[in-house]
Order: sequence, then structure tokens, then C-alpha cells
Amino acid sequence: MDVSTQLETQSSKYKLITVEKPIPLEFDLGLLAAYDTNTLDDQKLKSNNIDEYLKEYTRDGTQLLINEIFKLPLSVEDVGVFAELPDVTTVLPREKPIPKVKPLTRWEKFAKAKGIQKRKKDKLIYDEEKGEWVPRWGYKGANDDGANDWLIPVSNNDDPYEDLFAKRREAKKQRIEKNSSRHQRNLEEAAAQQNKNTNTIANSGIVTTTNQKSLRKAELNKQIAISKFATASIGKFDKPLEGEPKMKGVKRKFEPTIADLKKEKESNLSILKKVVGKGSKNDGDILNVRKASYIF
Amino acid sequence: MLKTIKPKTARSARALRKREPKIQENPKTAIFLRGHKTNNIINTALSDLCALKKPDAITFSKKNEILPFEDDTSLEFFSQKNDASLFVIGNHTKKRPQNLIFARMFDGQVLDMIEVGVVNAKSIADFKTPKCAVGMKPCFLFNGDLFETSEIHKKFKNMLLDLFRGQTVKSINLSGIEHVISVTASPPQKDDGDPSTGIVYFRTYTVQMKKSGQRIPRVELEEMGPSFDFQFRRTKFAKEDVYMAATRVPKELKPKKIKNIDVNEIGDRVGRIHLGKQDLSQLQTRKMKGLKKRAIEEIDAMDIEEINKEDDEEEISPNKRQKV
Repeated sequence: MDVSTQLETQSSKYKLITVEKPIPLEFDLGLLAAYDTNTLDDQKLKSNNIDEYLKEYTRDGTQLLINEIFKLPLSVEDVGVFAELPDVTTVLPREKPIPKVKPLTRWEKFAKAKGIQKRKKDKLIYDEEKGEWVPRWGYKGANDDGANDWLIPVSNNDDPYEDLFAKRREAKKQRIEKNSSRHQRNLEEAAAQQNKNTNTIANSGIVTTTNQKSLRKAELNKQIAISKFATASIGKFDKPLEGEPKMKGVKRKFEPTIADLKKEKESNLSILKKVVGKGSKNDGDILNVRKASYIF
Repeated sequence: MLKTIKPKTARSARALRKREPKIQENPKTAIFLRGHKTNNIINTALSDLCALKKPDAITFSKKNEILPFEDDTSLEFFSQKNDASLFVIGNHTKKRPQNLIFARMFDGQVLDMIEVGVVNAKSIADFKTPKCAVGMKPCFLFNGDLFETSEIHKKFKNMLLDLFRGQTVKSINLSGIEHVISVTASPPQKDDGDPSTGIVYFRTYTVQMKKSGQRIPRVELEEMGPSFDFQFRRTKFAKEDVYMAATRVPKELKPKKIKNIDVNEIGDRVGRIHLGKQDLSQLQTRKMKGLKKRAIEEIDAMDIEEINKEDDEEEISPNKRQKV
């Protein structure tokens, strides 16, 4: 018995999966795409049964694409056989620009320098006094500082006539205020930093890391200067703010009446050069002959 | 322009955060809308293309007075409102009958637009054949060398890939390959050789995988629709710098450079090992008594002895001898 004839009859039952193309196809398997650069048959494209031709042509291309996909590393899962796709090679534009890196807050900077890492804390903690689990913070939280205490013992150091409840409330208020002011400071610094970055990129293309405090200060001074012009007197009769910077304008400068002769001569010559010299509007000629003849 | 919204609730904040630029982007949403005047062919073409793009598609049911090539502000508005960056706009005028405009946005601005006329069209409903399921990733096939050589064809290919690619996935279920979008560029019709005069055939087929007696199946196709013959009209392409900005790859997504491992021409992996500087002082040479190592103190002690000896010799002066 000849095995080869058996194999042949077996294989002849099925159609071929191989396709011959003069130029091999390019594939971008990440997109499941194939690019066929072979020349098309112009006659068939112009004939009536173009759809038939296109279908046949596409079948060949698809067969090659499927062959290529089946060559990828496969993995069998309960849902079916999965092919691991490579990265997309065709360059497709993004929808939105690349997200900007958020500037770090002061705490984040500090934590980074110190190597402090965030770790997950449980939301609930056990309150031994109450004997139950309470939230770490927030409504009925554990960090209420005894806000619901009905009694505060007065120690020897305390002023006996002071309202300790009010003192606690005040202390908490101040803590919150301090935190929010620091939050604000972080926001301002971040805004100034980003503003600075965009400015420097636009101007020179070089980003320099500068002192954030000075940046913010300059920004504030600029804004104060702008706000001064909002009054009718352009800020002349405004009450000065505490530690307000002095506005810098253009200062007039007078030369001494008797000074170095050489310098005086130089400055005068430079003025003369500007008016009548080379590169000036008249470009050397004091008399514009053309214009003069036109007028007279 | 819309005002920048400050979220008042956590829910709206989440929704806004979803719209922020991401490193790994979500699939682009497409808006399918009708211009001020359309005909039946354009309407069905829009709904068919929308069916292919689903689920990342929004259809506008009403007409819009919109001419993107003249004024693209309304596109910017729609894009921002719907968080969509792809547009397919259909209209039908005397000057440009059966018109489809494919437009893309980047950063809320129009990146590029390609206008095509629909010469021939057959809708999905015209083919009484099985259809693919919604949201399946299609295969793409671009036939013809014009897709490599002609600028407008290249852009159109890029646009179609962008429109129908769907989600970026790491792996794909082989039984989920259900349909193939085939785009064929015919050579230019006019003699002047302008490639944009050629017709582009857009066809969609369902893929059937038959037994082949081997591991890889035999592929058979059946036309599913829609099918269009496109003719290029106006175009508006992005400026070089804008396109560069749009195609920038974030640092996080770039493949990490593997140091010291190369693949040579034969395909062998070649590694380079850095050993650092060799410490030659520890090298064991031939053992000799003279070269034997001694402790530093020992050496110092010896040196001092030698110096002292020399001093003694010098000190033996004539007058001292006399004393002796």
C-alpha cells in the first residue's frame, strides 16, 4: 500500500490554503491588517463582473492574513483559541495630547526625598472605649478629638475660667484653615510652574527649574501692578498694602551739564548717524533729490 | 466654546476624569451626521457605516447645517460635547452629489478631512447573507500599490484604519474573526496619472473558515455589505507639526530598550557582559621568596633599621675615632 497516494487523495478533498503572490504582503497583525501592493488586473477592474474579481482577490489576501494570524502564539482557553497579537506598527494619530505630568505637591516632594511610600490603611478602626468598629475619619469618625465629650477635666495648668470646648473648636478650625491654605499654596505653585514651563518652552525651548517661591512672588507682584491701574487715579491715592513692592517705571536720567567731552561728542555723533547715517531712513543722503525735484 | 466645567458631584467628576487625556487611549468614538441635504443613498450609507463602527458610534438623527471644509467650528463643538474624535458627514448637493466627509480630530481641533463621492453603493440590507456580530474587530485588506505611493490614498487608508479598528487588544479569539473590510484602489482613470482620480472600492465580507485538512483553515468569503465605490474630492490634511504632535508616543508606551542584548545578522542572540576592571594586584605570579608579601609594619621596621645603619656609618668621623 502506498501512503503517498492516500495522502494525496486525503488532501485533494480540501481546497488549498496557499496563495501565490509576486510581491509578498505586508502585515500589521496588531490591527489585523494586510497591505497588498501587487498590481491589480486593469481589465477585470473595468469589466462588469468586478465584484466577482474583488471577492476572489480579497479571498486570497484574507487567506494569507489568516495564515499569518494562525502562526502567532496561540493559547487555548475555555472560550476558544486565542492568538496573541503583536503591537500595532501602523502609525495612527492620537485622540488627545499626551497627558502632562502633574507637578508634585510639597508633601509629595518631601515624601519622595525621604522615600516615604503610601500604604493602604483600613477605613475602619477598632475603638476600644466604645467597643466597636468606627470610621478612621469623617462622620462619627475616630479622630473627632473628643468633640462629643460631655466633660473636659481642667488640669492644673489650664485657666479655670477658660471655655475648653470653645478652645478645642477653635483649634480644629485653625487646623482646617492651615490645611486649606497649604492646599491653595500647592495649587498656586503648580499653576506658576506650569505657566513658567509653557513660557520658557515658547521662548527658548529650554525648561529651567527655578525657585517656586520666587516664581509665585513675581506672579503676585505682576498681578498687584495690574490691579493698580483699575482705580481712577491709577493707584496714586491707594492705601499701600503691607510690604507692597515699589512699582518700577521708566526713570528719567539727566546727564551732568559739564561732562567728558569725548562722550558727549560720541553720543551726538551717534544721534547724527541715526538720522542721516547709513542704515537710516534717508540712507546717507540728506537731500532726497528725487523727492525734491518732484516738489519744486 | 464651552466653558470649562468644574464638577459639583463626585459622579460628574468621574465622568470628566474619563474624558481627560490618557496614556493608553480608549477607542475613538465616531459621530455619524447628515448635512443640510441628503438623499436615500447617503442616509443608508451613513447608517451602514455606523453599523460597522458600533458600539463606539453616535448617530445624529437630525440634519445639521454644516459645511466642514468652510467652517469647522461646529465639528469642534460636537467633538467636545460628545467626547468623539471621528466624524462621518453625509450630504448631497448639486455641486457635489452623494458626498461623504471623513474627518478626524486631535485635541479638539480638526486634524484632517477627506471628502469622497459615492459613485456606487449597496447597503447591508441589499445582501441577503449572514452578518457579523456587533463590535467585532474587523480584518483589513488594502489592495493596490497606490496605498503605498499616493499621498491621498495613504491618508484614506489611515483614516479607515482609525475609524474601524475598534479596541486595542493584546489577544484575539480566533473564532471572533468574522468579517474583513477590503479596500481596493484602482489605477487613475484619466491619462494625466493623477492618482486621486482612481476609484476606491470599499467592500465588506464575512469570513468563513472551512476545513483544509491542516491546522490553518481554508478561508471563504461572502459579501456582507455595505459596498461602496468612492471617488476622491476635496481634502484637508494636517500641518506637519500638528501631525507630529498627534502621533507622538508616550514614554510609558515605548518599548523598553534592552541593554547589552543584541540579535546579530544570523539571528543569534548575543549578550555583552561587563565585568569591571580587573584587580591585578591580587594576581598570583610565580612564588619567590624575594617577592613574598610582607605586612607594611614589617617593611617600615626594616627600612628604619637600614636608615639607622647608614647613619651610623656616616657618624664614624675621624675625631670620634680619636676619642675611641
